Amino acid sequence: MAEIPKPKVGFYGFTGCAGDLLTILHCEDELLDIFNAVDIRSFLMASSDVHDDEELDIAFVEGSITTDHQLESLKGIRKRSKVLVAIGSCACFGGPQAARLGCGDWEKRFKKVYGEVKHTVAEPRESHPLDEYVKVDYCIPGCPIDKHQFFFALTRLAKGMPVELTTFPVCAECKWNENECLLLKGELCLGPVTAGGCNSRCPNHNLPCVGCWGPTSEANVASEINLLKERNFSAEEIVNKLRLFGGAAMVRRFADLLGIKTEEPAGKPRQKKARKPVAAGKAKKKTASKSPKAKSGKKR
Amino acid sequence: MSLNRIKIESLARVEGHGGITVEFKGGKLSNVTVDIHEGPRLLETIAVGRIPSEVVSLTCRICAICTISHRYAALRAMEKALEIEIPPKVHLMRELMHCGEMIESNALHVFLLALPDYLGYPSAVHMVPDHAEDVQAGLRVKKFGVKLMELTSARPIHGENPVIGGFGKYPSKAELLRFKYEAESLIPDAERGVEILRNLRQPTYMEEGMTFMCIKPEHDRYGWVGDRILVSTGEEFNAWDYRKLTNERVVPHSMAKRSRFQDKPYFVGALARFNLLGERLDGAAGEHFRRCYNLSWIRNPMYNNVAQAIETVWALEEVPRIVDKLVAYEEDPEIVAPSRDRGAGSAAVEAPRGTLYHHYEVADGKVIRADIVTPTAQFLDMMEQHIRVAAENLLKEGDTEDVELKLEMIARAYDPCISCATHLVKVRGI
Repeated sequence: MAEIPKPKVGFYGFTGCAGDLLTILHCEDELLDIFNAVDIRSFLMASSDVHDDEELDIAFVEGSITTDHQLESLKGIRKRSKVLVAIGSCACFGGPQAARLGCGDWEKRFKKVYGEVKHTVAEPRESHPLDEYVKVDYCIPGCPIDKHQFFFALTRLAKGMPVELTTFPVCAECKWNENECLLLKGELCLGPVTAGGCNSRCPNHNLPCVGCWGPTSEANVASEINLLKERNFSAEEIVNKLRLFGGAAMVRRFADLLGIKTEEPAGKPRQKKARKPVAAGKAKKKTASKSPKAKSGKKR
Repeated sequence: MSLNRIKIESLARVEGHGGITVEFKGGKLSNVTVDIHEGPRLLETIAVGRIPSEVVSLTCRICAICTISHRYAALRAMEKALEIEIPPKVHLMRELMHCGEMIESNALHVFLLALPDYLGYPSAVHMVPDHAEDVQAGLRVKKFGVKLMELTSARPIHGENPVIGGFGKYPSKAELLRFKYEAESLIPDAERGVEILRNLRQPTYMEEGMTFMCIKPEHDRYGWVGDRILVSTGEEFNAWDYRKLTNERVVPHSMAKRSRFQDKPYFVGALARFNLLGERLDGAAGEHFRRCYNLSWIRNPMYNNVAQAIETVWALEEVPRIVDKLVAYEEDPEIVAPSRDRGAGSAAVEAPRGTLYHHYEVADGKVIRADIVTPTAQFLDMMEQHIRVAAENLLKEGDTEDVELKLEMIARAYDPCISCATHLVKVRGI
């Protein structure tokens, strides 16, 4: 029998805590199998054996984009990869570093932290998720991702099959785990609107969901806000909580509800174009020409 | 041969994105920089205006490898700010979760990230055909650390169970005892790492004396938490005076700030802890320390790898001691509520890669200021210094074969965490 070539896979990280790549390194029992089942061409965090100019079947990318240099690298990865998978809340939504997207205060905050020093290493920019710049085929959320969801995606993609990710909220898993409802007990729990897949870990420990997987595709944020207001939480508290991990997803989908002014160019200091035209700007770039439906990955 | 420049674009097998540039002029070394390319996150500005519990969830996300240390430091600082006294069982649980992270992070670094250099492989996976037993021993120890973090914090990475004033839920006695027995059974695996490293020749081309710093534990045993800081100059400081120790500044080639003590670079991490507190190590770890220790440990950062391997043994020996005390408690304490909604607090915790400081100021229940100084930001200057010495010596001896690898090995011995180093500086209200 002829040997089937192993799919070529690359693992990349941009701005974040490296927790998604570390989750993969934490798969001790499966780690050697993963490295054997696919042909890993780049995993800088684990190996100095890196081939970064080759075509890839699958690229897994964690972290958000916060420098011009990263943006160029991301475009390069997209160009070389058949399938690009965003892993983790930073890559999918921009991460906690995108909690003030749309506030228009990024430059001010940057100066607060770094002062007036002109950096020679990278042109910084406000944090945005990957799909703001390139076509993303799948978004696997999580802070960090869950290893089972990653295995599932990897094995399906390695066989050239599509991936269906969880669509239910944390609330569903919480019911299956027969936890007492923390919302009913008066806690600020984001379980009803947060993407499931973590096995409702926080409610299992008597702690409210902090929303770290970002909003689920069917999130009814309006109803969540009303519910919490009825329980005497202030609008500010609720918005803060939703935005801590909701990043760009909150800005795109729930700006009105959260009082985010979308006419703000979402703080892209070095890009003249506003948020909307990014898609158009992107279409001009060499990366997008390969992918006919450049936006499909965006609305998750 | 003439060299103009050695440039390592991307350091492999470290957390985060950094590189090394060494420049020469007229046959002489002119400049050495450890360049940090990691993008900025400005997390401290995101912290401002939020309630303390959210800030704890946020600041642990600074880094996945040291998530427990960040969380621990944040909890201690917040509890000082809000005047919360935590019960003894909470202390013990925190010590246990801290052991989990030390075991996980040290084993990951020693077996999977550092060892391939010594044995001449690009990664631990490439080592498997020739050294399967070593790699698997390392994976078993690391896995135990990860499971212990999951048991105590609710998730291997960024677990939310440790909260201000206590824990959401405590593990059962049966679970704790299982971990105790497993820890005991893994000591030979961890000792394997010590033995391998002990029998390897450490390179010496970077040797130069260092200043060391670490936390002085509150008891007379070895440990990682306390309110006093020991310096190898013989001085002692209060942890809340950390700014006098770290003196951070911004440099153009790095998104991470840099630190110096009395205008000199210094070292934090397992090697610093062992140089300052090694005498306190007990059990098998103590024996290994006394067998391995030599005077090169005060000037050669490569011994940080050995120190981490021994520290992993100590952490595994510590788990049963903590579990025995924990199972004596019948009741799980309630989460302690804050006694005030304003105040300031600084706390230090030893992360696997060195001393970590968190400082918060709270007013009307909201964080108005956050300041975090990470170990990597503190030792980057020292790392640059050792790379400079190495480059000078290698050039002098005409030993330019594999020079990139030789310099990279020095950087890796520090076990840098570049994500950590990048985002952490003080900010006051927006």
